[in-house]
Amino acid sequence: MTRKLTFTWAALLAAALPLAAHHGTGASYDLAHPVTLQGTVTEFHYTNPHPQLFFDVTGEKGEVTHWGGEFYPNPAQLIQGGWGRRRSEAALEPGTKITVTVAPARAGTKVGAILKLLNDKGEVLLGVAGGGPGEVPQGGPSPGPGAEQKPDSEQKKE
Amino acid sequence: MSNLTGLLGAALLGMLSTAAFAQGPRGILAHNSANDNKPYNKHDISGIWTRNGSPGGYGGGGTCRDCGDRGYSANVPAPTPVGQKMFDKNKPSYGRLLGSADAAAHPEEPIGRRRAVPPANDSDPYQHCNPMGPTRALIYPDPMEMSVLPDRVLQQFEWGWGTRVLWTDGRQPLIDPDLPVWWGYSTAHWDGDTFVVTTTGVDDRTWVDHYGYPHSADMVLEERYRRTAYDVLELTMTINDPKVYTQPWKSELKQFRRLEKDGIKTVDGWAGLLQDVCAPADEVDLFNKRIRDPAGGVIK
Repeated sequence: MTRKLTFTWAALLAAALPLAAHHGTGASYDLAHPVTLQGTVTEFHYTNPHPQLFFDVTGEKGEVTHWGGEFYPNPAQLIQGGWGRRRSEAALEPGTKITVTVAPARAGTKVGAILKLLNDKGEVLLGVAGGGPGEVPQGGPSPGPGAEQKPDSEQKKE
Repeated sequence: MSNLTGLLGAALLGMLSTAAFAQGPRGILAHNSANDNKPYNKHDISGIWTRNGSPGGYGGGGTCRDCGDRGYSANVPAPTPVGQKMFDKNKPSYGRLLGSADAAAHPEEPIGRRRAVPPANDSDPYQHCNPMGPTRALIYPDPMEMSVLPDRVLQQFEWGWGTRVLWTDGRQPLIDPDLPVWWGYSTAHWDGDTFVVTTTGVDDRTWVDHYGYPHSADMVLEERYRRTAYDVLELTMTINDPKVYTQPWKSELKQFRRLEKDGIKTVDGWAGLLQDVCAPADEVDLFNKRIRDPAGGVIK
């Protein structure tokens, strides 16, 4: 299994812990020890309370491990970042190659909270760029059909 | 560390800092000076209000940067023996992890905020989409909308899509109702510039807040709302529940920022509160079984 722990990630996310570890989900996931995986999407569900991504990771000896991950932003937040259902589902069709960094479950199961998600072009998907819990989804470069896309700074209504 | 890694690290740290500090204090949207001189009616509490500072006024993972944000109040009165038993029975997943170094490092916080267990192992009624009840819904950091009608005010919560009816038709609070209900029975009136809501008969399966503080069906909840600026609504609550607490329990001040209708839009441009339902088909049948329970080690 390809499994890379990046020093920079670990250090920076650990630095973010005082902000992040207080969430309900923080009790399940180990934010201090993120792992980065290269995988292939098998399922994606754009639903409450948090969208879920399922993917296969193939190890060096060809063994396949099935993972599940939840996004911290919920659909309402993703929408405000320009990531509606159609755009998100198009970006994560089954078979899509991804590089995903997750905070793994403390229980040791193959489940994690998704901290960063890239496609094989290196594009950030669903605006999840590594800010961890509380990250405001970013709009990204290509809004879907009908999307009224604005820079994130203009989306903040006050 | 290579130069490239250093640059990436600096950029990421910048993002983290931005995410952490782009919001106002305790998550409320930052003050907008454009609203300073807008006229408003202190007796008009209609509109969309939110306690969170991210675009669209959403919470979810975007709030509770400190633990107080989802709490009713850190100044908890001593429980009665019955109240202690109810408190012990509730196992929340919010707050600092039970038994962790983080929890041990904050002895100044009430124990209710230092006893979190993984969501799969808790007893939170909302993990199964049961209604949150009035206090917890008001504290939840997603938007809510108030619609003022001649004889009532409707309070619609986006997350969970729950509705309260606050009757202003002159009826008296319902004392000792025959049937407690999830959102209680609410009456309301104006006391000067304060909108006062009295609620009774709240189903005791709801929690006061995310930390699992209990209440009985005999609780009398008083909410006091004041519109203090065009875009600011303030709320304090008081729980009178002698069966559970030895003294009345007053909440911390909760501030809401006004959101204009266009402040929330779907990608199709459909403005207004989103229909953000907590549906068992999504939460229980899918999310709990495939994410929450495995993450908590309940399902291997």
